[in-house]
Amino acid sequence: MTLLQLAINGVALGAAYALIALGFVFIVNATGAVNFAHGDLVMAGGYVAVGLGSMAPVPIIVLLPLVAAIMFAIGIAFSLVAYFPLANRPPSTVFISTLLCGIVLQNLFLVLFGPQARAAPPFIKSGTVHLGAIEISIQALGTLAVAAVLIALQYLIFARTQVGRRLRATAQDRPMAQAIGIHASAMIAATFGAGTALAGIAGALLANQFFVYPTGGIPLSVYAYIAVVVGGWGSIAGAVIGAMMISLFQVVVSAYVSYAVATGLLYVALLLIFFFRPQGIFGELVQRRV
Amino acid sequence: MASWLFAGIRLPLILGAAALIAYAVFFANPYDLRVLTLCGIYALLVLGFQFVFGHAGAVSLAQATFFGIGGYVTGILATRFGFPFLITFPLSIAGPALLAVIIAVPVLKLEEHYFSLATLGIGLVVLLLAIQWSDVTGGTNGLSGIPAIKLPGFAVVDRRSVLWFVWGMVAIGCLLAHQVTRGLHGQAYHLMRENREAASSLGLNVAELRFGAFVLSAAYGGAAGALMAHVIHVVSPENLDLALMVTCLTMTVIGGRTRIAGAVLGATLIVYLREWFRVLENYYMIAYGTAALVTLILAPYGLVGALDRLRAFLIAPARAAPPIVPAPLMRTAARDASVVAAGGPLLTVDNVALAFGGVKALDGVSLFCNQGEIVGLIGPNGSGKTTLLNVISGLYACDDGRVTYLAHDITREPTYAIARLGIARTFQHIHLVDDLSVLDNIAVARAGIDGGGLMQAIVTVGRDRRLDAARRIAISAADRLGVAPVAMQPCGHLPYGTRRRVEIARAFATGPRVLLLDEPAAGLNEEEQRDLAERIRTFGADGITVLVVEHNLVFLAALAERLICLDRGKVIASGLPEAVRREPAVIEAYLGLEAGVAELALDEPP
Repeated sequence: MTLLQLAINGVALGAAYALIALGFVFIVNATGAVNFAHGDLVMAGGYVAVGLGSMAPVPIIVLLPLVAAIMFAIGIAFSLVAYFPLANRPPSTVFISTLLCGIVLQNLFLVLFGPQARAAPPFIKSGTVHLGAIEISIQALGTLAVAAVLIALQYLIFARTQVGRRLRATAQDRPMAQAIGIHASAMIAATFGAGTALAGIAGALLANQFFVYPTGGIPLSVYAYIAVVVGGWGSIAGAVIGAMMISLFQVVVSAYVSYAVATGLLYVALLLIFFFRPQGIFGELVQRRV
Repeated sequence: MASWLFAGIRLPLILGAAALIAYAVFFANPYDLRVLTLCGIYALLVLGFQFVFGHAGAVSLAQATFFGIGGYVTGILATRFGFPFLITFPLSIAGPALLAVIIAVPVLKLEEHYFSLATLGIGLVVLLLAIQWSDVTGGTNGLSGIPAIKLPGFAVVDRRSVLWFVWGMVAIGCLLAHQVTRGLHGQAYHLMRENREAASSLGLNVAELRFGAFVLSAAYGGAAGALMAHVIHVVSPENLDLALMVTCLTMTVIGGRTRIAGAVLGATLIVYLREWFRVLENYYMIAYGTAALVTLILAPYGLVGALDRLRAFLIAPARAAPPIVPAPLMRTAARDASVVAAGGPLLTVDNVALAFGGVKALDGVSLFCNQGEIVGLIGPNGSGKTTLLNVISGLYACDDGRVTYLAHDITREPTYAIARLGIARTFQHIHLVDDLSVLDNIAVARAGIDGGGLMQAIVTVGRDRRLDAARRIAISAADRLGVAPVAMQPCGHLPYGTRRRVEIARAFATGPRVLLLDEPAAGLNEEEQRDLAERIRTFGADGITVLVVEHNLVFLAALAERLICLDRGKVIASGLPEAVRREPAVIEAYLGLEAGVAELALDEPP
């Protein structure tokens, strides 16, 4: 395969990773909490698509709004279990609760869908489009298109709408937001809903080519985290770029060496960033306030 | 003896342990013996995890990694080289401990989720290595045929001896954990996980405490992993994976994260639940995750902590002050005579600058404090007062300038070293340990100065004399601030004004030459303010230099011999209180008004 072909595959995978990382960074910004069940919620989206697909054999593009709505509700339910009861505790407590929720989700998948990998319906239909020597699957094109639309949409919502401003105000300074009459808890629950919906959409898109299986979410949680660390903690644009970098790295190294080496090097890269550039590749170092 | 037995929840714990031992001795069949052995191994793993997660307060995700490495060291050395237990076991402890030492330097600098994910990343790299390096590790199948434990002259083969051997190790592990966490050293951990800045500004070397906890956790993990390898005769990548890590975390959360009994209870409970509900298969894991989640929400201190609280709720513990003979502080003004004779100021800040991004928080600040002088540092909000205290106490590294104390340059010294040299401080927001008594909150102040460290804690036999000495100093410090009558009460329930004074007493108990107080009068009523001013003035009389950050000019007027006013990171006035208060620049900075208009306003109590 040519490097260009690999790059295109990497960008298509990166589009899905970008949605996952975006959902992850929303929740980080709104609550400061690292959601370690985020990858499992991606799987949940995949399973919802599998379930819906088995009921009505239509392409994912038709099911996507329904997947998003169901995942939004799951996200709110998730916040009520994993975040709100522990909101006043140290952040590590929420981290542990999301870790435990992840375990519960993984075994729920196992009970409901069995240990084997499952595939969701294709985006429109399976097949590829040829552009000269380059070959792109319809799934990849669809993933790219959906990711582009959603990234633009979240930008418009945050930048231009009143709800977006309320969400940002809550994320930036919760007591102040409450003081001016914003229902902060509702905003946080909505953020969990939106973040989970993005994860779920990514899961539904990935589940055709890459399948869903009960423990498939664990590496995705770690990738989302790495994407946010690479892009600068809390930066939305950084998360998207970080996700792209991860997928490109993964696709290229897997092609030339092996998937295991690609994964190993990714973790090593995370450690190196922690030690040498804790502010992320694009971030600016700010002394911690005491 | 009787009072020792009835203190806390010792009696039910001892009875529970006795019942478990009786069960193992009289009723257990071979299957039960095996399950109880596994309980012991997990108890050891959890005991180790408690050091880093419970005591140091850091969510490490590498505990299973240490467990797995311990197992692999034993497996490789025993199957490939035929080394006996007496060689493989110490090496299985040393291996993970060595890895912990190597990764500690970069990893322990990280906090919260950065630390967790870094430890996870290391764990995943080790897991990949174990799978890929199959010539040595046996790849995904792992290594089998690991022999039973053999000591010189006797082999631990039958299940009953294995059980006793493993639980003997657990007993040693419990004893070591008890030594480390009781006494003054244990209380240092307590303060450190509550607030790092407060701990280091009392002279606690937070990095050293975290390092000790991390290496201990690795050593315990390695020991548990080695025992597991001998008991089930196999090591495989499963010994390293995240599922085991989550099991360990669940056991710790359910049992209790700092209590030794919690480790044993959590491990035993989870292992047994897993056996009992094996028929439920995967539903079991759902139930188990849910149970851990519920415990996390409802019983943050685990089941043992919940029992303890229930007991405290039902039978209120005696709060009578124990007979502690107060001991005054040893550090006296006489020791500073040389400096004073030399005529230089005790503390000098020279042209200090610090910017946060584009904001110049401190812009060339210079000031000095003489021995025994009480200096007030005033200025509007955001003028850099607290930032300056943070620079002096080493919490912030300044971009430029020098801080000199007793003729030493302390600009680049770490916070704990500055505190040990004799500069103590309090914070704008109170950082006390709510669960500890007033007395012990103050006594922690001695942990960094004469606590003795990890090794000393381990080899201390009998009473911890350092803790006794610390409490004697603490009671005299409490007396100085008028909080001795509530010395035995937990800090969490005390009124705000009392908590403030406890915090000042704690800073005073370090035996400082310089005391930095950040808004000590905030939130106090006038009566309390007068009382506090009176007490702070006695510090000055004892030769302690006090630098007070305050907005409250009435409080300062009765206290400070000299005022320094900061505005936007610069000193705009300094001198006698009367003069500074009438300085036009000061009035303008505070009220944004022309001088004459505002003069009266400043004389009014706020």
